[in-house]
Amino acid sequence: MPSLLELEHAYKKFQNNKSIQVELKTLQRNFIGRPTSLYFAKQLSVFAGQKIYLKREDLAHTGAHKINNALGQALLAKFMGKSRIIAETGAGQHGVATAAVCAKLGLECTIYMGEVDIQRQQPNVVRMRLLGAKVVSVSSGSKTLKDAINEAIRDWISNVETTHYLLGSVLGPHPYPTIVRNFQKVIGQEARNQILAAEGKLPDYLIACVGGGSNSIGLFHKFLNDPQVKMIGVEAGGLGIKSGKHAVRFSGGREGILHGTKSFVLQDTDGQITETHSISAGLDYPSIGPEHSYLHQLKRVRYVSVTDKEALSAFQLLSKKEGIIPALESAHAVAYALKFAKKLLKNKIIIINLSGRGDKDLPEMEKGLKS
Amino acid sequence: MNRIKTTFENLKKNKKLALMPFLVAGFPNFGQSLKLLKTLATEADLLEIGFPYSDPLADGPVIQRADQVALRAGSTTSKVFKLIKELRRTTEIPITVLVYANLVYQRGVEKFYHDAKVAGVDGILIPDVPFEEMNIFFQVAQKNDVANICLIATTTNTTRLKQIFKFAQGYLYLTSVVGITGARKDIPQKTLSYLKQLKKQTKLPIAVGFGIANKAQVKKLKVSGADGVIVGSSLIKLINKSSKIDFRYLLKFLRRLNS
Repeated sequence: MPSLLELEHAYKKFQNNKSIQVELKTLQRNFIGRPTSLYFAKQLSVFAGQKIYLKREDLAHTGAHKINNALGQALLAKFMGKSRIIAETGAGQHGVATAAVCAKLGLECTIYMGEVDIQRQQPNVVRMRLLGAKVVSVSSGSKTLKDAINEAIRDWISNVETTHYLLGSVLGPHPYPTIVRNFQKVIGQEARNQILAAEGKLPDYLIACVGGGSNSIGLFHKFLNDPQVKMIGVEAGGLGIKSGKHAVRFSGGREGILHGTKSFVLQDTDGQITETHSISAGLDYPSIGPEHSYLHQLKRVRYVSVTDKEALSAFQLLSKKEGIIPALESAHAVAYALKFAKKLLKNKIIIINLSGRGDKDLPEMEKGLKS
Repeated sequence: MNRIKTTFENLKKNKKLALMPFLVAGFPNFGQSLKLLKTLATEADLLEIGFPYSDPLADGPVIQRADQVALRAGSTTSKVFKLIKELRRTTEIPITVLVYANLVYQRGVEKFYHDAKVAGVDGILIPDVPFEEMNIFFQVAQKNDVANICLIATTTNTTRLKQIFKFAQGYLYLTSVVGITGARKDIPQKTLSYLKQLKKQTKLPIAVGFGIANKAQVKKLKVSGADGVIVGSSLIKLINKSSKIDFRYLLKFLRRLNS
């Protein structure tokens, strides 16, 4: 708890420190390559009968939106005088982003990753090691993201004086959900300006996938006060909700406490956290950021799910139609958008957050295509 | 709650340290777990019993695995209460439980504390609730006359200590290391000096846990003013060592720690 108070205190100072904010902006531009483009997906639009734009976070350095938060928090850690960074990773995108930023800023870096995820996201493991990070395989529990977070928290409480825990999503105890959202909201700020420039009006729908919920909150945040913009968060349906093998917190879960946050959690009657399933490691998590629970209860954002199978076919479709290989996580958002498009009147403006690129998924993709 | 108080008072009169073994309820299964606890009760001064949990954040690998074994063997919250109830029939030793917040929350805070009281529990420690969020648990603990046990570490500064003292009952649980449970060889010097300082600030007994595994550590803690030691991981390691549990050896191990 004292470390969280220290973090909250330092973050306030960090926000008001002009020279650091300038440094952050400069690195966002030169290191990450922001702003990322808002790309009109012409073929996909014709196919769906709507105007579909992709917010190209897959073009950000290291291939996903995760770098926005990793860069911000690493600067914050340096500002706090910490020399060591630890992080958890599911798909490996947050791990790679953290490793890259640590390499650049000269910070020691350890990444915790579930054994199952290490197997299914091999390319990212190699990248992290190349970037100088130590990758620790976590073999407890379900051996995925949840357990990697457990292990990172255990490390943090043991080494709190030297170490900053660079949490990768809008999860965990306060102030993490706020800090991570603030480093990700640049996605929506850019997208809002870009769509106004391209279309002269706001979009009808925003669609993003939701694991912990950082890319979606990043896109949604700037539009929350635009009542005409409807928002949809897409959870991982796995093998289908009825199968019990999924990560749909808003259908199978209820309020609970996990990793220092009260939010919707997949759990049994007693409160033991249940194992989740998704083909995409980044969405395979039993809880969801508390702000999403709030937006769900307000009914400001609608939460839906698509199955592994639907995500896989969207993955291929986007590759073939637009020449863009999406991350399996982002493919969930694409899959829902295509399904949803059929129910809409023609030519609605839809922005899909293409949160990451799919190179990391190619080995898993091959397996999925065969089965 | 009085059982805790009386026990520490009696030990103090005899200048003895409380020996407080920790075991996971339902580990390795219900029957063996009950037998283990009954056996340890004959040598221990207080029993600490852990509710097995899927995500025990404050625990090292040994207790994590014990939690998983217990859950796989079918342990549930209701069965843990049943276990304690049966244990209570045979002993008047103080019993405290360690339970993660979500298990309490899902049963309903009121119901959890009520069931604990009925089962014969004297104190409850929730390791993942800081004092900032403790009020609701504290009030229900008061109502049910169950001691609210608080965790502190050498990183807990004076300001936080003062706040924690408002909620702390039974005994203070000081972790010997900053971090998670698991047997270690020594006690950090920092912990010993922190303990001496802490002793001056509170009348509550202080029990030290996390990493306690040998006699030398216990001796150092006693000299620095500890009133009790909690022994978990090293005990569970001994249980895991052979396929058949050697109950006599466990008792010998405990006795030797505090000789």
